[in-house]
Amino acid sequence: MSTHTANTDGANHDAHDHGHHHETFISKYVFSMDHKMIAKQFLITGIIMGVIGMMMSLIFRLQLAYPDMKFPFLESVIGQWGKDGKLDPNFYLALITIHGTIMVFYVLTAGLSGTFSNLLIPLQVGARDMASPFMNMLSYWFFFLSSIVLLSSLFVDGGPASAGWTVYPPLSALPKAIPGSGTGMTLWLVAIILFIASALLGGINYITTVLNMRTKGMKMTRLPLTIWAFLITAVLGLLSFPVLLGAGLLLIFDRSFGTSFYLNEIVAELAGGIERVGGSPVLYQHLFWFLGHPEVYIILLPALGITSEVIATNSRKPIFGYRAMIGSILAIAFLSFIVWGHHMFITGMNPFLGSVFMLGTLIIAVPSAVKTFNYMATLWKGNLQLTPAMMFAIGLVSFFISGGLTGIYLGNAALDINLHDTYFVVAHFHLVMGSAAIFGMLSGIYHWYPRMFGRMMNNTLGYLHFWLTLVSAYCVFFPMHFMGLAGVPRRYYANTAYDQFNVFVDMNQFVTIAAIIGGAAQLLFLINFFGSIFRGKRAPQNPWHSNTLEWTAPVKHMHGNWPGDIPYVYRWPYDYSKPGSELDYIPQNIPDADQTDPLDEPKAVYLDLKNTTMPLVENKEA
Amino acid sequence: MKIVTSVLKSLVLVTALFSFSITAAFAQSAEEGEKLYNANCTSCHAINEKVVGPALKNVHTKRKEVWLLKWIKNSQALVKSGDADAIAIYKENNESVMTSFENLSDNQIKSIIAFIKKESEAPIQASIVPTGTSSANASTTEATEVSGTLKTSINWLVIVILALLIMVIVLVLDILAKVGDIQGKPVINWNGINAKLMLAFGSIGLVASAWEIWEHGKLTVLNQTPASTHGAEHDNMFMITLIITGIVFFITQGLLFWYAYKYKHSSKRRALFYPDNHKIELVWTVIPAIVLTILVVRGLKTWTDMTGEKDPNSRVIEVYGYQFAWNARYAGEDNLLGKHDFRQIGVMNALGVDTTDVKAQDDIVTNELHLGVGEPVLLKFRAKDVIHSAYLPHFRVQMNVVPGLPTQFGFTPSLTTAEMRQKLNNPKFDYVILCNKICGGAHYRMKMKVVVHAKEEFKQWLAQQPRLVNKSTPNVQATAQVETSTKTKLAN
Repeated sequence: MSTHTANTDGANHDAHDHGHHHETFISKYVFSMDHKMIAKQFLITGIIMGVIGMMMSLIFRLQLAYPDMKFPFLESVIGQWGKDGKLDPNFYLALITIHGTIMVFYVLTAGLSGTFSNLLIPLQVGARDMASPFMNMLSYWFFFLSSIVLLSSLFVDGGPASAGWTVYPPLSALPKAIPGSGTGMTLWLVAIILFIASALLGGINYITTVLNMRTKGMKMTRLPLTIWAFLITAVLGLLSFPVLLGAGLLLIFDRSFGTSFYLNEIVAELAGGIERVGGSPVLYQHLFWFLGHPEVYIILLPALGITSEVIATNSRKPIFGYRAMIGSILAIAFLSFIVWGHHMFITGMNPFLGSVFMLGTLIIAVPSAVKTFNYMATLWKGNLQLTPAMMFAIGLVSFFISGGLTGIYLGNAALDINLHDTYFVVAHFHLVMGSAAIFGMLSGIYHWYPRMFGRMMNNTLGYLHFWLTLVSAYCVFFPMHFMGLAGVPRRYYANTAYDQFNVFVDMNQFVTIAAIIGGAAQLLFLINFFGSIFRGKRAPQNPWHSNTLEWTAPVKHMHGNWPGDIPYVYRWPYDYSKPGSELDYIPQNIPDADQTDPLDEPKAVYLDLKNTTMPLVENKEA
Repeated sequence: MKIVTSVLKSLVLVTALFSFSITAAFAQSAEEGEKLYNANCTSCHAINEKVVGPALKNVHTKRKEVWLLKWIKNSQALVKSGDADAIAIYKENNESVMTSFENLSDNQIKSIIAFIKKESEAPIQASIVPTGTSSANASTTEATEVSGTLKTSINWLVIVILALLIMVIVLVLDILAKVGDIQGKPVINWNGINAKLMLAFGSIGLVASAWEIWEHGKLTVLNQTPASTHGAEHDNMFMITLIITGIVFFITQGLLFWYAYKYKHSSKRRALFYPDNHKIELVWTVIPAIVLTILVVRGLKTWTDMTGEKDPNSRVIEVYGYQFAWNARYAGEDNLLGKHDFRQIGVMNALGVDTTDVKAQDDIVTNELHLGVGEPVLLKFRAKDVIHSAYLPHFRVQMNVVPGLPTQFGFTPSLTTAEMRQKLNNPKFDYVILCNKICGGAHYRMKMKVVVHAKEEFKQWLAQQPRLVNKSTPNVQATAQVETSTKTKLAN
């Protein structure tokens, strides 16, 4: 590899310069153990999965808007499932199932947390790489394998899993109940088990790296909020994914070995010739949602962490209430483990239990409100650089408010009775964890793209992408609330069997057109993303004038991240517009005038940046 | 029976309206067939479109009647016997097994076929074309298809134009950006434009939200009188939540986009270094906590009122769900449901009711749910195969229907169907139970009509329904029962 040293203090260079010279194409781009390369692998796989998931949603949106119309192109795209241009009802269910699975796990868990935890944890805490680069590589390849298995299920007899992304048994357990519960379901379970392996390998690594490998001076109270979010996310994943693994294994037993963990009073004829007695379908739901609810925060917290960082940097202001932000992440994480029952208010569970889950659920609104108010206080009297990343972050806050408020309806058991499984729920979670998390992810991509690829993305395309996406996302999901409030159930192939839903024909078409526009807008992003890898402007050392450590590492990627010593950290990451300093930012690696020990808190307010020896703004090498 | 058969046969052969007597017989048979069709077939079939099963249009000309009888009664037996047609259909429909209808008599199936025949020919009767059935049909469908494809192509055209427009805009902006790079000063002040767009989006968005709540809110619970007594309390809770969250929504979204506009970048200004203020943070932790306490307390009260102790005099009705239909079983005079045993579920006993149980003797099985206004009911839910969910939106009632796990929900209907029709100004309106938990291909058609009668009317209706004990066979799929035969049985 190139042995350029960006910094002048490259004395201890060889301390980490081991084995760099034997790099082949395979070890650099395929089986790479470098966290930055693995981050890019996660991101690009995530984007490909995201495109597939989104195209699926466009197909079923067409069906929902025009249930009586024929789309001859469908037959060429999905073959037997779109005979004569009509989408098959069973395949509709397969599409929504795989759309949900892809978006929740493959895009918003692996694509978001996998990408940014990998990229930012070592760079922002000041580490050469992850604690175990090999496990990190395994984490990606398990994820890759899992994606392949899931996608291969699209081509098996009977189609892919079709029981909804939550795959509730008995529908998912009885191959006779729906064609997708045959081979497709088996592949789904295998894919998820591989995915869990990937998530656990990644999670252990993230936690270990954050706790053990911080550079000198990087106290827990000096961690950027991104790292706090990734850390807590990894803890959530580590505690909840194994439960899903258990749930999945038991489901495999029920499907393949004739057990009855989730089945009761099912006649032999339906269940492969063996009568099933003694289990409970609701047991699966408890296990599933014990992961499922923390999973919502596994998706959302990294997005919120990214937002905190992007908003503070681009407001040129410290994030308001740093400790309150950490406190609310911890509170949300804790509460997320004791509220899973709000997905199950109407499964017939004891109403008293429902009350407990309802109480816990509504309490989550308090730390969420604190986070929202803190974001807004950060914007207040800021000096906002409306970069694409910043705008996506503001969009996230808007979705977080809109979707969060409808959570107060759904968390209320008394209202959930009428809203459960309607389009109100679809609207709610697509805003609060769909759109919000995607916006967090896009914000992160625009912000750290120079860090990942050493080039800048095109801003104009970014602005257009943002506005089209924001408007279309609201046009798609906001009207759905009203369908839900009128009782339109989700997961319906068509509403044609119910005269009372005819009033929503126009709305459904409007939503579909908005979705198509939103989908087309993502083409702008794809062009921008892949085009800029080759044609983007070369990135400067610190394009956003940010304080965090990743911007002190050379633009051109290298093993070990920093050519010389790892920089020490002297301050928290949010010294933006600090009175007394000449520039409106002070990177974490800059000591105050009289600060010698990194562990001391900087005392002097005034700092003469010009006399510091550390690289600050421009790096000529770049 | 022979007469009906011969009449049907002659109808198939003649295909026109020849004599009065034949028309009458045909009409009667088709009328009976319509009821049976709606009760047994619609969840998986439609006349003109494929649902889970194939479209039934002209099925009477495609297959022989004998074959149809065999297939409908037990399609799997026919497949196993090696019948080529049967195997082909089975394969064509992704090997999903059609429910067996051995409980239907030959005559009943024939009347269903008569109904399908009538429906298949419906457009011809309108245009009075006696012959050339298939060609006439083809032309009408072709016409709708043409207009359909026309619409689609217009839509696609619009999309293509939009895409081109965006490309042009992007190109222009890109050129302007390059010009700016050359001049050393950006041509377009994006920061200012984006800030203004933020303000525009915020204000238009909030106005649009308000408009939508006003306009589309009318179609929702906000504007529908609930049809149950607890519904009022639910709607009340909903309104309180809507008002509180609405206020928060407008204030926070308004401020967010206002700040995004107001504090846009200026090189003349420096941001305020303001990392903390414990007092403010305390305030905005405590205020949401108080508001949520109000919502929680109020919500818990509503929840316990809805799910708490039931009126002990509630009428017990079992709602039974299976792929893809519902049945209701009334507990009868003793208000006790007879035992059930899933092992007895079969073609002849769809609900698996233990008919030897004394309590089951007076049970009544129907395929519509009839209720009396003001009369508390306790619905007990049971499922055969997978999880379903009984959703009665007008009553603000929903409960999962889980195989092997009994669930229940008690409520009191407060508006009759007739009253609701008047309120909605829709004479065709009917209450409905719909399935709201993904349960298979025809999930979206799994429904049961719900009728709320005035008290007396309900008693009369109930008295007319056959008891299980009255039946000669343990055939509890009451779907097979038609009112006419019911009346004769009651008279006996």
